[in-house]
Amino acid sequence: MARLNILCIESSFLLREGLKTLLGQMGKPFSMEECDVVVDDLAKVLRKAKPQLVIANPDMLTAIGAFPREMPECDHRIFYTGLVNEQTADKAKARFDFLLPVHADKLSLSRRLEEILTAIFGKTADSETGTLSERELSILKHIALGLTNSDIGEQLFISPHTVMTHRKNITRKLGIKTVSGLTVYAILNKLIKVEELQVSDRHEAQL
Amino acid sequence: MLINKEMKMADVIHLNHHLLPIINRFGIQLGFGERTVQEVCKDYAVNLDFFLEIVNTFHDPSYFPLRHLRSFAPGMLIDYLQKTHLYYLKIKLPEIAQYIRQLTTNTDMDPNHVQLLQDFFTSYESELSAHINREEQRVYPYIRTLEKALQTGAVMTDYPTSEAYTIHHYEEEHDDVESKLFDLKNIIIKYLPSPVESRLFNIILHELFELEKDLNNHAHIEDLILVPMVEKMEKELIKAKSNQ
Ligand SMILES: [Fe+2]
Ligand SMILES: [Fe+2]
Repeated sequence: MARLNILCIESSFLLREGLKTLLGQMGKPFSMEECDVVVDDLAKVLRKAKPQLVIANPDMLTAIGAFPREMPECDHRIFYTGLVNEQTADKAKARFDFLLPVHADKLSLSRRLEEILTAIFGKTADSETGTLSERELSILKHIALGLTNSDIGEQLFISPHTVMTHRKNITRKLGIKTVSGLTVYAILNKLIKVEELQVSDRHEAQL
Repeated sequence: MLINKEMKMADVIHLNHHLLPIINRFGIQLGFGERTVQEVCKDYAVNLDFFLEIVNTFHDPSYFPLRHLRSFAPGMLIDYLQKTHLYYLKIKLPEIAQYIRQLTTNTDMDPNHVQLLQDFFTSYESELSAHINREEQRVYPYIRTLEKALQTGAVMTDYPTSEAYTIHHYEEEHDDVESKLFDLKNIIIKYLPSPVESRLFNIILHELFELEKDLNNHAHIEDLILVPMVEKMEKELIKAKSNQ
């Protein structure tokens, strides 16, 4: 199961700790980047943290225009959850995908968080089972042999863009990010033989 | 709980024994007796405030030392980072490589699998060395030059020029060295058939987790403390030049 990257933009230490405690009880591995100051360059913060989910105090993002949902550096969509209270204006709330009322009791907060995570990741997506499709297996084999996206696309008659999408899915399902890691996986699972590898092909490119 | 100067050093280790390698990096060794953090630092001629910031950053990843740490001499921070590099290259990586080599004596493990692990780890070692070399040969000398210019008040006439190196370049190209480590952990946890006698496997995995934690903390210091500190120095230099 891939780890959930969360970026928390909230000045209150107690709130951040409380969120971590709640998330820790959801049973899903996560890591949380924390930002305790008003953000003036959200894109920069996002590039560093690469979060799937941003949980933020609306007041700390007032200097930001539209929230970026997609970034070239991230292979996933970014979702936004607002930490709201009775005073939060409707206009501020409307910018977020989800809302978390900070004054709710523990049970409702856990339920709300569960709903948010399910909405983002689905309940039992096949990504969680780790089984690769036939197409993904064949692409994995080509990656392990050191072929580039466009080489693979040519051989399998698909666009390099499609190859890229498959690669992201493979990485998500297996929990392996690098080409050398995928190569080891392919050998362990007898998709390729060690003799098929050429030393020069063992490049260090990352997904 | 934050670590403070009145605490006994022995209690610090009881609180979080993962701090031991960090503390050793300052030249401090076990056998603290009843001495406090402050006393131990004095005995070893270690800057107390700097020590506290570094151990607290490691002890609690959500601890933001920024305001204080930036007021330390850049040289002190670089010395610490270099000691950390040395620890990775001279101690930790060889140690883990040694454990992986020991797997070859394990008769119920496929020798090909051990070879795979060895190759993978060797390529990780060279990746991390290359990363560290870039920092030591390019970035740190640059920072020391800035520090010197600021101390002596010398105006760097060639600074900044459009093609000159700035810390911004470092910030942009500072790649993560944890991806491969992450993969290695997952390969061992999920995919590599474990030998019946798995003690060595467990040790290796434990070492990888520890290294990852240490590397994360190191990168955290580089990105969140070193970079902003140098940005500030660059601004001062530009100001000094325009005042000329
Ligand atoms: Fe470094
Ligand atoms: Fe680094």
